[in-house]
Amino acid sequence: MPNQSGNAYGLTVLSPLKEIDGSGQAVIPKLRNLIQSFNELDTTPMAKVPNTYLSRLWILEDVFFENYPHELEHLKSKYLVFTSNFHGELDTYLEGMFNAIPTEVQSIWQDCYGFDDKALSPEGFKSYIKKCQVETTFYFNGSTDDSLQDQLKSLYIKQEFSRFVFDNAHKSSEELLTAFKAFIAETQPTADFPRWKPGESDLSDIIDRGNNDHLSTN
Amino acid sequence: MDNVIDYYDVQGNIMINYAEFGYIKSRYVFIKITIGEDGRKFIKEIAPLITSSALMQNGTISLPEVTTNVSFTYNGLKILGVPILSLHAFPDEYVMGIRNRTSILGDNSASGPEHWDDVYRDDIHMFMSMDAKDDESLVKRYESIASIVDQIDGVELIQGCNNGRKELDKFQEASVLYDENGFPTAKEHFGYTDGISNPFFKGMTPEMGEVIGGGKKLNYNNPMVEENWGPIETGEFILGYRDEANEYPAAPIPKLLSKNGSFMVFNKFHENVGKFNEYLDTASEKYNIDKEELAAKFVGRWRNGAPMTTFPTQKAADEIADERQKAIFALNTAKTPEELAKAHEKFKEVNRHFIGFDFFDDIPGSRCPVGSHIRRANPRGALEFNSKDAFSTPAALDNRRRMIRRGLPYGIATMESNEGEHGTIIMTIVANIKRQFEFVVQQWLNYGNDFKLANDKDPITGNQDEDGGRLIIEGDEKQLPKYLAGIPRFIETRGGVYLFIPSLTAIKYISEGIVDPT
Repeated sequence: MPNQSGNAYGLTVLSPLKEIDGSGQAVIPKLRNLIQSFNELDTTPMAKVPNTYLSRLWILEDVFFENYPHELEHLKSKYLVFTSNFHGELDTYLEGMFNAIPTEVQSIWQDCYGFDDKALSPEGFKSYIKKCQVETTFYFNGSTDDSLQDQLKSLYIKQEFSRFVFDNAHKSSEELLTAFKAFIAETQPTADFPRWKPGESDLSDIIDRGNNDHLSTN
Repeated sequence: MDNVIDYYDVQGNIMINYAEFGYIKSRYVFIKITIGEDGRKFIKEIAPLITSSALMQNGTISLPEVTTNVSFTYNGLKILGVPILSLHAFPDEYVMGIRNRTSILGDNSASGPEHWDDVYRDDIHMFMSMDAKDDESLVKRYESIASIVDQIDGVELIQGCNNGRKELDKFQEASVLYDENGFPTAKEHFGYTDGISNPFFKGMTPEMGEVIGGGKKLNYNNPMVEENWGPIETGEFILGYRDEANEYPAAPIPKLLSKNGSFMVFNKFHENVGKFNEYLDTASEKYNIDKEELAAKFVGRWRNGAPMTTFPTQKAADEIADERQKAIFALNTAKTPEELAKAHEKFKEVNRHFIGFDFFDDIPGSRCPVGSHIRRANPRGALEFNSKDAFSTPAALDNRRRMIRRGLPYGIATMESNEGEHGTIIMTIVANIKRQFEFVVQQWLNYGNDFKLANDKDPITGNQDEDGGRLIIEGDEKQLPKYLAGIPRFIETRGGVYLFIPSLTAIKYISEGIVDPT
């Protein structure tokens, strides 16, 4: 199935947009403002959706006019495009998405044709998205198909290990061993935490110590 | 006959490395034009002083006692009355000027424009450089230009240059540094021999440069052999000629305004000599590495200039550097044109060891670190990382990023100097400021992705943040790698300007007010 590569799933969804909403407001500028406003939050709502590697929301108004051969083409409608690369199965992912951010889901899709009250449940959302799904082979680069938790842990270990090397590589074997033990104790390579937080872009606050927060207590 | 260049039309600073011909003293002036007509009058008066690239007269090298070259900012051309249609054809980065490009160049915190000398924060319209063999002829030329300025109302020399005196000057001075015996050297303040490598392009004569090391590498064979290098296309450096993409570089219209011209970035770079020496001392001890070797690993050349990749031991480096020093001495003390020509020939022979190299035997960097300054500034085809034949020539990834480098040190520093006025004036001449200068500074010097070095920066020029920079000194079967951290920002920008260097024809047209883009 072209949407899947190993455990990674490339979802592409085109939802046709209404011209105006129930109150007579133009939909596209309103939706564009909403999508833009996610950038101003500390983390995007999609960071709360389990196992999201990378996702994008954008508005497709029409296709570009290609000069030659000059056949003028237009889309039937204007679309909200949602793409997401994630770990696992589509059903589980969409259920997880609706459960994690139901309010955002409603505000994003409420002005799309076919998105009605029935879509406001995990089952309904799943069936709506599947209706709008386009089969593609679109994948973003830069992630393996491991679970998001594993990837966040691996990236954390990689960065911390690089820091460890620069801080300690010049030391004597004895000091190096002590430092390495401390590194293992702090980074807990086999445990879930600490790891990077999903959706974080500020490096100063990127480490999620989870429930394993023994370090801050001593 | 695309590559036949009219040397009499191209300004001398583009094709001639004055320093190689004994011009070891410089003054730079920055001019403001308040009345366009007066500006044009001024240019007409100084036009006969402008030095061209015509180096040879009747078969011998013949250059004046003092050279003079001019260039203009966008605002300068505007006030001089260059038509709007021509102005609109200039590239965006030149129109914006360097102060609006600081985020690309990494000129932040200590390198930010708020720390620049007054003159570089002023509205500069025109730039003049004077290079001479001695102070006397230099000062004489400066004074004659200053007196022309005095006689014209709408033209002034901006009094905003910091030479470390009580008051700001109307000129920035620069000079070679002298050794303990009073002989001129090619060193900058960190102790490195500087300005060794420059590009060689089609249309250059053998006196102007060397295709070995200066051209582009055509294959993976011996870099000391001429056939393995080819001249770079003229259009990478001079407007109006084809470039490496087989296109004419973007240039203002009409062609008469741009042909034989080029763009230049003037930079004043302060050097934190004290921090540099302190880091060498502490790091050589901490990482257990010889201090001189550590200094060499930073740059990829020993401080005497010999490249680490071909001279991995200091002894071999010292021997070849001694020979080069003798050749430079002969060059600087030549009395007759015949002596000069002979000395220049000898210098070129020795200098080949300093420029005729690449990194194909040292791709992993165990001799010359992948992150060192010279591999970043001019990778010499090494970006293919052993994936041979991925491109038509090994230099495909860097032959559009080459830059002509001019300039001299300024000020005097002690081993401890951080504050004060000392550093290097660097003038970078390119056909495209964005593709060549800005790309190299942003992607290669202040970032490491192309070298598979994450976000490590150039250890010498990098705009390191407060935590300091990192450098991996790669090891080999005998030596473990070393991981240097906490490298401070050694170089801080103290000023800069983006300039257009017109041909002598274009200067005439600008001064007459007859540039016609229609």
